[in-house]
Amino acid sequence: MTTTARRQHTLEVLVENSPGVLARVAGLFSRRAFNIDSLNVGPTENPAISKMIIVVGVEGHSLEQVIAQLDKLISVISIKEILTGDSEVIHDTQPDYQN
Amino acid sequence: MATHVPTANGTEMTGATSLVKSLEAAGVDVMFGLPGGAILPAYDPIFDSTIRHILVRHEQGAGHAATGYAQVTGKAGVCIATSGPGATNLVTPLMDAAMDSVPLVAITGQVPSAAIGTDAFQEADIRGITMPFTKHNYLVTDPDQIPSVVAEAFHIATTGRPGPVLVDVAKDAMQKMTKFQWPTHIDLAGYKPRVVPDNQSIRDAAALIAQSAKPVFYVGGGVIKANAAKELRQLVEVLGAPVVTTLMARGAFPDSHPLHMGMPGMHGTVAAVTALQKADLLITLGARFDDRVTGKLSTFAVNAKIIHADIDPAEIGKNRHADVAVVGDVGETIKALIPALQAELAKNRADLTTWLRQMNSLKSTYPLGYDLPEDGSLSPQHVIQRIGQISGSETIFTAGVGQHQMWASQFISYEHPRTWLNSGGAGTMGYAVPAAMGAKVGAPDATVWAIDGDGCFQMTNQELVTCALNNIPIKVAIINNESLGMVRQWQTLFYEGRYSNTNLDSKRVPNFPMLAESMGCVGLACERPEDLDKTIEKAMSINDQPVVVDFRVHRDAMVWPMVAAGTSNDEIMIARATAPDWDSQEL
Repeated sequence: MTTTARRQHTLEVLVENSPGVLARVAGLFSRRAFNIDSLNVGPTENPAISKMIIVVGVEGHSLEQVIAQLDKLISVISIKEILTGDSEVIHDTQPDYQN
Repeated sequence: MATHVPTANGTEMTGATSLVKSLEAAGVDVMFGLPGGAILPAYDPIFDSTIRHILVRHEQGAGHAATGYAQVTGKAGVCIATSGPGATNLVTPLMDAAMDSVPLVAITGQVPSAAIGTDAFQEADIRGITMPFTKHNYLVTDPDQIPSVVAEAFHIATTGRPGPVLVDVAKDAMQKMTKFQWPTHIDLAGYKPRVVPDNQSIRDAAALIAQSAKPVFYVGGGVIKANAAKELRQLVEVLGAPVVTTLMARGAFPDSHPLHMGMPGMHGTVAAVTALQKADLLITLGARFDDRVTGKLSTFAVNAKIIHADIDPAEIGKNRHADVAVVGDVGETIKALIPALQAELAKNRADLTTWLRQMNSLKSTYPLGYDLPEDGSLSPQHVIQRIGQISGSETIFTAGVGQHQMWASQFISYEHPRTWLNSGGAGTMGYAVPAAMGAKVGAPDATVWAIDGDGCFQMTNQELVTCALNNIPIKVAIINNESLGMVRQWQTLFYEGRYSNTNLDSKRVPNFPMLAESMGCVGLACERPEDLDKTIEKAMSINDQPVVVDFRVHRDAMVWPMVAAGTSNDEIMIARATAPDWDSQEL
């Protein structure tokens, strides 16, 4: 997949529900100079897993690089890209991006 | 994992004993550390453990020693420290290990869980501090979690792309009672590194290689991590294309091999730099397009297609687009590529004769070299070259960071993997002595030389006390130019010779041989070329004590070739204001 003309991408990220996970994700975006337009965290039906909805502003980095770096975090379980206004999942990191 | 089935399974014990039993169960045989208040509970069971604990003089020494041990053995290195400043002293080695993909497990004590967040005595948020440069890290407050966290830490550190993992354990978690239970398996939902590459990517890579008229093997440290030097040689000989080995990959392919063009990058050989620049295909194996290799990225290997094989998917396309990405263990990739390439070459084989002739012409026209000082003083390059020649190819070398590091990479011939240890990504001055200590512990029968600068040596030489008292007889060559030599070189070239704060005035202060003697080592000095070989031979003859040799060298020697930072590899200089004579080369 290549970066589309759209600047913003919405990622649905499942993470371990454990202390420090938000800091890991926020710190990653900060230190790699990736832009976060918004970030929401909420529970899932599984109490061990939280869901983050991250709107990423891709400038100077490819979306693949943002996703690959996110997926390197051990606490990140899966990443999907969501098309705004559409429930269709157009990108699923499992298992190709697993590291 | 689970190298031992612990007999302690199911037994009640303190969290501290559980921690030590867990380290034993993970197969740890040695660790480097220094106790303090918060980690003190763990040091009581360490007293009775089968694990050899080496008491360092500074926690930074423990971290780099663990790295040296890991780089030589391929096993995880282990270091242990207390909370607060003990833990923050591990920050540099952890960052260093992350940059060079070294499997490391750091154990730190933390203040009692009830005190966390109160700015307690010796409290530091080491988990927060080390998030950017650990592969993962943990804060443990529940003693029942200690075995599973330790097992996960070793699993994460040693699999996939290796890296450092920190386990911070609150003091009360070590003091409470728990039932020890070593996990039977590890299943991390967010961590499933891909080991075996995809078949299609191997076929695509093989097809691209067979069509290429100007291919180059761009070999990085991943090949050493994957223990794939033998397989790499097979692959190279199947194709018969030139090879370059990066600073982290020296020893992955024998320097003596005719297809080896040397090291690429800022201080690489003309042949290696030009091979990458003029290639039509880079076969990138466990390398990461670091800025010190590529120079100005937009001008790097502009006509080359890229095959990028790496175990870390995030390296693919990070700095340079990959035409064929092969994600997996690079050893598995090479093994799969050999038959796939043989099959492709049987159908269709590009003629590499012209390409090889061009590269061999550059290699013979522009060998690495240096001028001896006109005043008859010692040449630093000559000192390093003679140490390499006299000590032989089975010797393990470590280096600090700077000119001496580049000369040690250039003028010592590396024939085997895991014989060259340095701080490549981080550029940590002070790495050499503690890394040599760890290397010697990991390979006690090998000769271990630390090639150090006088600036670097003054950062971490206290670990020579540790070496002297623990029967770790390393050898240290101080390449003493009484300067911060590499910075001085940049001042010569880019700051009109204004030597702001690079003069160490250190030919006599400190007196390095006396300093060495005071630390329980043999101290030697050499300042005349005619004494060089016999001084090295004297150092080689001492095997029951660490030896430090102060080589007082000419201070104006410079590292060449050089691609100045931020410029194109095409602008490589072989000496000051001297470019290769490109017109005489058919390229």
